[in-house]
Order: sequence, then C-alpha cells, then structure tokens
Amino acid sequence: MAFAPLDPILHNQLRLAVVSLLVGVERADFNYLLEHTGATRGNLSTQLTRLKEAGYISVKKSFKDNYPNTSCALTAKGLKAFETYVGAIKGYLDT
Amino acid sequence: MDQEMTPAQSMEVIHRMIAEAKQSAQRANFYFLLWGVLCALSGAIDHVLLRQGVALHWLVWPGMGLIGAIGSSLHGAREGHRKGVMTMMDRVQMWLWSGFAITLVLLIILLVAKGLDPNPFVLVLTGMPTFITGMLMRFRPLMIGGLLFWVIGLTAAFVFPGYSSLIFSAGIVVGYIIPGLMLKRHEDGLRTT
Repeated sequence: MAFAPLDPILHNQLRLAVVSLLVGVERADFNYLLEHTGATRGNLSTQLTRLKEAGYISVKKSFKDNYPNTSCALTAKGLKAFETYVGAIKGYLDT
Repeated sequence: MDQEMTPAQSMEVIHRMIAEAKQSAQRANFYFLLWGVLCALSGAIDHVLLRQGVALHWLVWPGMGLIGAIGSSLHGAREGHRKGVMTMMDRVQMWLWSGFAITLVLLIILLVAKGLDPNPFVLVLTGMPTFITGMLMRFRPLMIGGLLFWVIGLTAAFVFPGYSSLIFSAGIVVGYIIPGLMLKRHEDGLRTT
C-alpha cells in the first residue's frame, strides 16, 4: 500500500503546532503563539516566515501601545493543507 | 521543536494545540456578573422610585446601560489585548450580544412609546442570548438561566404585573448572577488546570 506523502511545510513540529493553534482560533498574536508553542522568538519568527511564504498563513503587522505587534491567521490554502496533512497522518496511523 | 516527527507525534502535537486553542476563548463570567448586578440594582431602585411617585424613575435604566456598556467595552478591550487571540467563539458571542443590545434598546423605545411595561418583554428577550450562550459553551447553568428568563418573563406579565421591576430583579439574579458566579468558578478552575 502506498502512503500519501506528508507536506514538508507542515511536517515540522513548530510549524505544525502553529497551524494547529490557528485552526482553533481566528487570529493570534506573536506572543500568544510564543507562549503556547514554547518556541524561541527567533525560531518562531523563522517558521512563521516559512508558513507565510507557503501561503498557509497571513501575517498582519501593526502597532499596539506603541510597540510593534504581529498577528497571524490561517488562510484557506493553509486550512486545506492542514486537512490533507491530518488525512495522510491518519492513513499512517491506521495501517 | 525541529526534530523529525513520527505520525503519532504529529497527531499528539495537533491534539495538544487544538486543546490549547479551545481554552483561549475570553472568560465570560465578568459580563454576566457586571450586567447582573447592574440590572438587579436598577430593577430594585426603579421599583422604589416608582412607589414613591418619582416621575423620572425610568432614568435609572439608561444610566445603568451606559455604565454597563462602558464597563463591558473597557473589559473586552483589555482582555482581548492581554490574551492576544480572537476565537470563533469570541466573535460569535460578541455579535450575538451586540445584536441583542441593539434589539433591546429598540424594543424598549417601542414599548415605552406604546405605553407598555417593558420588563416582561426584556426578560423574555434576554432569555434568548443567555440560552444560546449556555448551549454554545455547553454550560448548563446558563442554559437553565435562559429558560428561567422565559418563565419569569411570562410570570412578570401575567401573575404579578404591578411588581414587574422587582420580578425583573429576581429574574436577573437567577438568570445572570447565579449562573455568572458558577461560570466564574468553572473558568477559574479551567485557568488553574
């Protein structure tokens, strides 16, 4: 039996954690993602850029109380990719 | 967090993060307690002023509404800012209660203009968003609170029409304040687990 290939963008623990969080919320700030994933600022920033470049998340930069604020939301493409990834993972686990 | 994952580890990450996200909806007890206390006090004050023949007794209601609106807005902005996240539940609740507030104000204006006592209608209308919120949160005390609003609204209209402000206050205590206190205990428990 052939296994469905896993999306390399999502098959990374931090990127998968970010996308899974964003599936459950509509929009989340950088600090919220930082707190809930336990990642370092640098690593999270790098992985958010990867997800943004892949078109899986949208990133909005603004100012909150005079400090820069980054908030992220899942795109339709990101949600589709996540659903496909979960389907593929289930295929692996069911065999 | 960059090591290679097995399918089981992937699934574990997904489940854990979705569970985290589920707990990110704003705490709602503040609103029920704020509006519950304000409404119950206003109902009691309105009843006393009416009994004493004060013509402008009704002014207590817009005053209460203004205080409640300012308090809710400030708290909502602060909570949203602190949590840094907006969930679907937050958005549904925000628009449900905003729509309710607009309907409520229009209904009161219409009823007063037609010379009708608004209290029973307000209670019946308040039952709807309270019941829906209870169903959405799967929190039984709020669902029961919504049901009680409907029953007490009918009671205020048909059984004790001269005491509708007092019945209104009693309705608020059982529909908002008691479920609000139980929700506070429930949400405090979620925060510490």
